[in-house]
Amino acid sequence: MRKFTVNSDKKELNPTDAQIKRHKDFSRLSHDYEKLTKRGKKPLYRDPKMFLFLLVIAIILLLTFLGEFN
Amino acid sequence: MSEPEIIALAKKDRKHFGALYNYYFDQIFRFVFKRLGGDEDNAADLTQQTFIKAMANMDKYEDRGFPFSSWLYRIAQNEVSMFFRQQKRNYSVPIDENRIQDLAEEAEIFSSHMSAEDQEKLVGFLNNLEESHLDLIELRFFQELSFKEIAEIYSVSEATAKMRTYRILERINKQWKNEE
Repeated sequence: MRKFTVNSDKKELNPTDAQIKRHKDFSRLSHDYEKLTKRGKKPLYRDPKMFLFLLVIAIILLLTFLGEFN
Repeated sequence: MSEPEIIALAKKDRKHFGALYNYYFDQIFRFVFKRLGGDEDNAADLTQQTFIKAMANMDKYEDRGFPFSSWLYRIAQNEVSMFFRQQKRNYSVPIDENRIQDLAEEAEIFSSHMSAEDQEKLVGFLNNLEESHLDLIELRFFQELSFKEIAEIYSVSEATAKMRTYRILERINKQWKNEE
């Protein structure tokens, strides 16, 4: 929580132009934004093509296994 | 290019947000810096956070007749309030004596110069105010915003902003007189 105090030390409460300039950087903001919003790799179960591909392979392997067994 | 045009472009493609960032960064940084009582590093982080949130929520921004800056101020205001709430210890925010004097005069407590002891007493009163009341006092007297600017941040009319502020001042006045 904030607690107000009397500025008896006469601390500067307004930033200088140099302080503002030091932190003004749109490329850094864009970079941070990208980092935060970058979507992770799609999970397997949400990728229908990959899911079908793996299902077909599993069926082939199963049929091969059953053929060998018989 | 006009501001509404830039906003429309920024909604479609975030790279156009740069123009808004460059235009409004200084005033938002000043606002946050003052709210934190001159804490440069945290002011930089919270200003950055404000613009990231604004950038991420550009789709939700609607022009309701208030300036775009009031939307940014509102996000910054929320970021700073959240920061204060997250602090485990009390976060000390120094206020200039002149600002305390202005507040005392407006609350009709003092018209002449206040002693250091009275200033401390008034600051003690402020620290016991509700968070939302304190925000309003802070915007008006410590950030020195006009009632119009305050009204825009809260999306209320200027008369409402004025009325709410003066009710809080009346309360401070009563409390002060009761303790005298």
